[in-house]
Amino acid sequence: MKKMLFTAGCAALLAGGPVLAANPVAGKEKSKTCAACHGPDGNSAAADFPRLAGQHYDYLVKALADYKAGERKNAIMAPQAANLSQRDIEDLAAFYSRQAGLSVKY
Amino acid sequence: MIRITAICLSLGVALASGIVQAADGNAAAGKNKSSMCAGCHGIPGYKTAFPVTYSVPKLGGQHAAYVVKALQGYKSGDRTHPSMRAIAAGLSDQDMLDLAAYYASAAVLSASK
Repeated sequence: MKKMLFTAGCAALLAGGPVLAANPVAGKEKSKTCAACHGPDGNSAAADFPRLAGQHYDYLVKALADYKAGERKNAIMAPQAANLSQRDIEDLAAFYSRQAGLSVKY
Repeated sequence: MIRITAICLSLGVALASGIVQAADGNAAAGKNKSSMCAGCHGIPGYKTAFPVTYSVPKLGGQHAAYVVKALQGYKSGDRTHPSMRAIAAGLSDQDMLDLAAYYASAAVLSASK
């Protein structure tokens, strides 16, 4: 029984792996280039550049992946995203999604 | 001469402020137009179901200029999400400005870290 629980625990840890891999501290380190337009914490000062602070993690991952794949077109973001690995994208999204900023409004 | 210059200057200021006003959205009007948006963007944790699944973006506190640019992108086809393309197709320029003014007006928390 103990062995079964141990196995189940290991499986749960492994299954949680990809989620745990996103590292907001590493994301902050990688966000220095982004800060020029989006602000140091994702609350951009210029209205043309979207606020990222507090945005959903999975939306940010999708947006960066789409820029990288060319499915979302933007002259500034395309070359930025082209150089990001999947790990970079997840770290950046983890950092920005944890900052205070955007809210759900209705 | 000074008087003419003063008149020209005040006319110029009046014209310029008129242009700025015309390009502004009305947040109250935007709220009335936002019922279509609220079904997805107004529900905490709501996810798109098509074509792929992910959380719909938060709009409260987003910059108005960016929201307008995004809506124009959907209308023109530069941005491709099917639901947003269908909705933006029916929006006028003024609708976009009003909606953007409404969403931008949420209090934005200052970041703590």
